[in-house]
Amino acid sequence: MRIGIPRALMFYRYYPFLKTFVEGCGHEVVTSPPTDLRILERGTECCVDDICVAVKAFFGHVDYLKDGVDALLVPRLVSVEKREYDTFTCPKLIAAPDMVRFFPHRPPLLLEWVLDVKRAPWWWGCLRLAVQLGAMPCRAYEAYRAARKEQARYEELLQGGLLPHEALEEMAGVSCTPASGGRKGGPPGGSGMSGAAGARGGRGMVGESRAGAGGRRLCPARGDSPGGLTVAVVGHPYLLGDQLLNKNLILWLRQSGATVLANTAFGAEELEREANLLPDLSWTYERELLAAASLFTRREEVDGVVYLTSFGCGPDSMVMEMFKREMLPSGGKAFMEVVLDEHSAESGVRTRAEAFVDMLRYREAKRAGESAGAGAGTGGRA
Amino acid sequence: MRIAFPHMGNAYIPLRALVESLGAEAVVPERPNAETLKRGLLHAPEFACLPFKVTLGDCLNALDRGADTLAMVCGMWACRFGNYGRVQHMILKDLGHEFDSVLIGRENVGEVAEKFRSGLGPGVFRRLPGALAIFRCKAAAVDEMERLARWARPREEKYGSTDALLFRYLDLLDGADSLRQVRELRGSFRDELLSRPLDGEDGVTRIRLVGELYVLLEPSLNCDLLRRLGSVFRVEAHPVLSTYRWLLGPLWLDPRIQLHGYRARRRTRPYLPYVLGGEEHMTISGILDARRQGFDGVIHAYPLTCMPENICRTVIPSITARTRLPHLGLCFDEHTSPAGVETRLEAFLDLVRDRRRIQTGGLGEQGDVMAGDVSAAAAAGGGRYPLCRSGAGG
Repeated sequence: MRIGIPRALMFYRYYPFLKTFVEGCGHEVVTSPPTDLRILERGTECCVDDICVAVKAFFGHVDYLKDGVDALLVPRLVSVEKREYDTFTCPKLIAAPDMVRFFPHRPPLLLEWVLDVKRAPWWWGCLRLAVQLGAMPCRAYEAYRAARKEQARYEELLQGGLLPHEALEEMAGVSCTPASGGRKGGPPGGSGMSGAAGARGGRGMVGESRAGAGGRRLCPARGDSPGGLTVAVVGHPYLLGDQLLNKNLILWLRQSGATVLANTAFGAEELEREANLLPDLSWTYERELLAAASLFTRREEVDGVVYLTSFGCGPDSMVMEMFKREMLPSGGKAFMEVVLDEHSAESGVRTRAEAFVDMLRYREAKRAGESAGAGAGTGGRA
Repeated sequence: MRIAFPHMGNAYIPLRALVESLGAEAVVPERPNAETLKRGLLHAPEFACLPFKVTLGDCLNALDRGADTLAMVCGMWACRFGNYGRVQHMILKDLGHEFDSVLIGRENVGEVAEKFRSGLGPGVFRRLPGALAIFRCKAAAVDEMERLARWARPREEKYGSTDALLFRYLDLLDGADSLRQVRELRGSFRDELLSRPLDGEDGVTRIRLVGELYVLLEPSLNCDLLRRLGSVFRVEAHPVLSTYRWLLGPLWLDPRIQLHGYRARRRTRPYLPYVLGGEEHMTISGILDARRQGFDGVIHAYPLTCMPENICRTVIPSITARTRLPHLGLCFDEHTSPAGVETRLEAFLDLVRDRRRIQTGGLGEQGDVMAGDVSAAAAAGGGRYPLCRSGAGG
């Protein structure tokens, strides 16, 4: 069977796991190309109108994939950790397969991968998926082990400072961003559809506008401009990894001369330790974002924090307010909130990124002038 | 202890009774209005849903009136409503207001009890059963009065007479301080309402109202939807949710509410098998049962960016296509104008009534065309913004 996995939402968190698992069960995995304008437009057309842009893109990918595959695999993430109180993910992730099921142009067969750690262990959802895929339990077990290993490797790459899409490229060995160096490759693992995908992806506007941008730069956490400015970007992996949705924000920040850190680079333990100091939050992913943002505000080398969110994101509207009101004032960091929707323009995001870095530079210069004038080496940035 | 709580429809009547019989003073600000919303908007996050903004404005009004304790419900849900109290109180404290915040939830019962004990003295728990009794009694009375008024509005002879009566009795109810008085008021409201001459029109159109709790129940937020439907459009509107349900459900004071909730969850399972934290089960089961319960159409009201209701919206078209029931989605945000809502209601109700006339054989030849799918005409124009659609098309 050819099984499609839409390149949106939780793709950027669990794709290596799902791909290895499904392939281990003896099926072929096909993904949609990186979001392009046509996919986004299609998603906007067929989805309800006031949902967040990432879900719209998700529907665009479902629509793109539905004809070329035998089945569509959609993860359902109900809870991803166990705590003394109830934990959830965003309702849209909980109900993603339902939304697809009642989608007017639904795929021929819908497979679900349920992750509800609160009630059943991680492997339970995999076993259910394996049954749906028709794999024997021993084979599924092998696939599961390989998939966990692959997922661990992906998380290691993320912690090494790669952004989700960069890490996915690295793992697949195939370049899959529409913009890196004029290549028209297909999606990783997308053997049958790569031709169509490449053609479709290549026509996207992002590819053209980024043709001379110098390609991707790996390892943002390494700090490749010593003494320069450092900007921390906090956002969901599906926004950080999708260059059409975030309108290349990271690229524009880097081009303006800043080193970019992202919240995906934090390890689970580090986030957990920080989150325990913060108020309880029932959304696990947002709890991680809040912890990451809080860590960034306390880091010495970070000059500014950018919070990336999409319009209508329910959890973020609360979490960002908590962050702005509770953590930001104590850290003394510059802060920018970038709200994305399907009308966001690349030039708008670029202007804001450049202005933000300029402002940081000005602030830095002013501070340097002040400390030089005072003659005292107080040294504190905050 | 001067306790304030946000408005939600007529919930202030039982809540005031509860707080006052516990021995505290209840601060009830004026009913939310445009000014309240404007105050809330100034400080609320941009894309929090409308209930957040209105209740924030309400809290500001209450603080102006001298409240020193703000109470709000909180919880660990997937819907963001569980965090409203915390974020609102954070914003208010940031603005420089000083108050004691009481967040009532399943997770912190002990903490809340301790706060009440320290604020009101150790006798507070002795007074609790009595307070709950009057709370329940008043909530039931409000619920019955609202239900009778919804029935009477489309049948009233003089425009607005039902509401005049309802408001008079609600004020009396608010002032009542014994169970007997409440029961008497309940009876005399019923008698007075039913003794009036009624417009003997048969076959009043019946509409099922589903959607987000606060939008359904707070008249200032939904452009007075219930009253408008009843008095202006002469429609009997039945919301699936009520203040009574919401107030008494979590307290286990009425087992019928729990049973109804379980049933709704069971009905919803084929569509949304997992709990999303909002009222999605009431919405879906309300629409599923609407045809059987003899409703002519469904109105789905929700605030902009509401997460559970938006997920329901992806499911609803396929349900209404199957049950062949016209449905209208009404989205409310701070820019919603009553005129826009009225126009949409008018168009929708025209369609619903025409369809009903056709189905009962009132119309001749055109009937065949229209009986098929009445809302096809309305849906034809709206691809991107489907305000009224019963087909599965997008």
